[in-house]
Amino acid sequence: MAARYMRRLFALWCMYAWLDLMWVTRSFQSFVLYFCGETIVAIAALSSTLLLAERFNGLGPWSKPQLIFMLGYAALVFGLLDMFFGFNVLFIGRRLGRGQFDHTLVQPQPIWLALLTDGFNPFGASGPFLTGIILISWANSFLLLTPTLMWLFLFVLNVVSSVSVVLSVSFFWGSLAFFAPRAAEEINTPLLRMFDHLKLFPLDGLSAGMVSGLLTAVPVGFIAWYPCRALLGLDSAWHAPYLTPLAALGFGLLASKLFIQGMRHYERIGSQRYRAMGHRG
Amino acid sequence: MNGSDHNATAPWDIVVELKGVSKTFRQRQRSAHLKDVARNLFRPVIREVRALQNITLTIRRGEIVAYAGPNGAGKSTTVKMLSAMLAPDVGTVRVLGYDPVRQREAYVNRIGVVFGQRTELWWDHPVAASFEWKRVVWDIPTERYERMVGVVKELLGIGEFFNSLARELSLGQRMRADLALALLHEPEILFLDEPTLGLDVLAKRNVLQFVKDLNRQHRVTVMLTSHDMSDLEQLAERIVMIDKGRLAFDGDFDRLRREFADRRHLFIETTADRYPELTGARWIESVGCRHEYQFDATHVNLVTLLEQAATQTTILDVETHRAPIDDVIADIYEHWQK
Amino acid sequence: MRLLLTRLRQYRLIAALEATSLVGEDSLFIIQFIFRFLRVVVLLSLWRVILTGRGPTDGLTLEALLTYTLIQEVFSDQLIPRTDIEWALHDGGITMRFLQPLGLVSQFTAQMVGRWAFGFVFFSLPLLLAAPLLGVNPLPANLASGGLFLLSLTLTIAVGVALEFIFAALLSYLEGSAYIVSRVRTAITLLFSGAVVPLALMPWGLGEIFRWLPFASMASAPLQIYIGVGDPLLLLATQAAWSVGLWWLARWLWEVSRERLVAYGG
Repeated sequence: MAARYMRRLFALWCMYAWLDLMWVTRSFQSFVLYFCGETIVAIAALSSTLLLAERFNGLGPWSKPQLIFMLGYAALVFGLLDMFFGFNVLFIGRRLGRGQFDHTLVQPQPIWLALLTDGFNPFGASGPFLTGIILISWANSFLLLTPTLMWLFLFVLNVVSSVSVVLSVSFFWGSLAFFAPRAAEEINTPLLRMFDHLKLFPLDGLSAGMVSGLLTAVPVGFIAWYPCRALLGLDSAWHAPYLTPLAALGFGLLASKLFIQGMRHYERIGSQRYRAMGHRG
Repeated sequence: MNGSDHNATAPWDIVVELKGVSKTFRQRQRSAHLKDVARNLFRPVIREVRALQNITLTIRRGEIVAYAGPNGAGKSTTVKMLSAMLAPDVGTVRVLGYDPVRQREAYVNRIGVVFGQRTELWWDHPVAASFEWKRVVWDIPTERYERMVGVVKELLGIGEFFNSLARELSLGQRMRADLALALLHEPEILFLDEPTLGLDVLAKRNVLQFVKDLNRQHRVTVMLTSHDMSDLEQLAERIVMIDKGRLAFDGDFDRLRREFADRRHLFIETTADRYPELTGARWIESVGCRHEYQFDATHVNLVTLLEQAATQTTILDVETHRAPIDDVIADIYEHWQK
Repeated sequence: MRLLLTRLRQYRLIAALEATSLVGEDSLFIIQFIFRFLRVVVLLSLWRVILTGRGPTDGLTLEALLTYTLIQEVFSDQLIPRTDIEWALHDGGITMRFLQPLGLVSQFTAQMVGRWAFGFVFFSLPLLLAAPLLGVNPLPANLASGGLFLLSLTLTIAVGVALEFIFAALLSYLEGSAYIVSRVRTAITLLFSGAVVPLALMPWGLGEIFRWLPFASMASAPLQIYIGVGDPLLLLATQAAWSVGLWWLARWLWEVSRERLVAYGG
């Protein structure tokens, strides 16, 4: 069964990647626009913190190279989110609020498989991902990290966990659109904007209460700050590299619970709205 | 198209079964005035809409069933239940032996659904890309897929725009492409919700002919909703009418006419411009010496009318037609509204 | 006069419809404002961490910077105005707009103002009132600054809406790319306008370069006036110049692209 799903997953990813490639390469203008556009967006977003770091020679206990590493990590996380969960999968509130969930229901596959695959656009959304890789490499040229296999494993584990944290929190709040489609249609936008903005800043120096809040209720801290502290050795506690994965598990369970509840509600109520905006285009 | 890949079921078995199905929605009502914002928010007026009330309905394999009713009668709600999008509040829905909602994945592999107002096509991609998407997501074997692409291209004439972007298609082309997409996996049942919406006469005729051929040659069961009654009468042997969530009629079109009104049009050509007064028939118009009337054949005898006319004038020619089905249905809807 | 009153009634209705479109289903829409509020609270705390112990930086004290950040959030919709025109072009709704007996600019602006009204009531006002609790002084540097801020805000809106129409006209030449163009534009505007990081805090004299771009006329200019930093008359003059220039450009672009726009958006 697991092998069958893995094969389906791979086949679907290949198919969606092909659709994405066709879209991005439909004209030279389109190709340049999408690739450069996403890169510009990623760089512009990171620039604020980079410029501040240059102005103040680092921020708090973070040196410039460490900050660049953190920004690269953040870009990588959001790059992966854009690549795997595009077409409003990440902004699930929009899909639900606009009545587009029916398009998922008519597909003969589990909902989780549909949501894991039909937002896949590895070419059009590759800009931030590549920006992240470049920034991390650039940071490493100053930091001179010598990653062991274990460190690489922890790096990948934490990146995937950070992605899961954002996705889970987005799904948790977005599920409210099952119950209030119009009011919650755009609930993901301010949430993800908050994540996108605050992920760029190290949280050292904030009050303990605020940091706790930013690792629990609004887990911005797990997007880049906390995992990078662990990976760069700024937090030497033995459990530091494992806290983000643990958080991902917890948030994932919470999100699943509410999403499934929402689906049960949707089975009974359905959607009285339909708006094609953002659906497959 | 054959069902050999699917679980075998007897040819005349019941494929769709709704038993005592009811569905109620709650709708928030709000005024359009700024001053009512607070009231709308904190003390909203809720309207309960009983979309379906105790619907019991069966459809046998190979039938084409027209599902009609005035706006807001519950047609789309029924189609959504049959398409695994909605569960009933009360009662059971079984299609091909499946509970559509509980067994959704396996179930949707055996049905096809086309909504006139929505598309499954990828908007910014050629039609061919949407077909390829369908092949992968529905996991259609290559040989079967290629055969079906050939079939739908020929029968629906989509070859000419197969490589055009979906967003650049006309409405008729888009509908044909959506229909073709719905058929690629050889569904046993097709649910069509307003499939001829916005189509011109020729496109409509092609779509309807295609559905007829599909049913005749491949025994695909079809359930379709439409407001175009003449289309439905051409296509379906059976019409199920729903009004305010309740089943109002289930039978063939002839019985529908007989039960509600066998409206006929009578044309009498006389020697005079002045039309004869006929008790039991309503005069509609006169063009020269040709006079048109409408009457209900269930209550008034044609011979009686002609006898009346003969006493008033000299009859040169007589012609009768059945009233168009749209007129019959409009009368029915009007009657239900009272 | 009668025509003016009619127009005002029409715009008021459009704005009211937009303002109330979110209200009436559920109070869950409040959650999105809570997220915005939390973001502001964290941002203010971050600025305190970054600037505590440092003296005024290019005339910017910590207190002024906190006021800058708060007022930027209170008036975020007005400082970077966005209409629905790009989406109307993308989904074809623009053709229906041409059928209405109102100017395009006024239609979209009225809708935008309606959306503002909603955000102002549920977010901006509460944030302003909560400012003392957050340890931020919400008041302008002085009365004159407050008055000039309002004038500057009007020019900001003029510049912003002109840019909206310019980009919309350009979109007709970049078919199918409304989404990415919008994203790039938002990202660049946020960076160059000083909305996120005041231009005064940018290294290498970048702030001095950016302040001459039209984006700086959107957020940076009015916010500087509000906190009493920089020459208000020079800032206003720059905004006015950009406003005139950009509206001329917008008008010209729409004239030459009108047919293309209708074909693209239809």
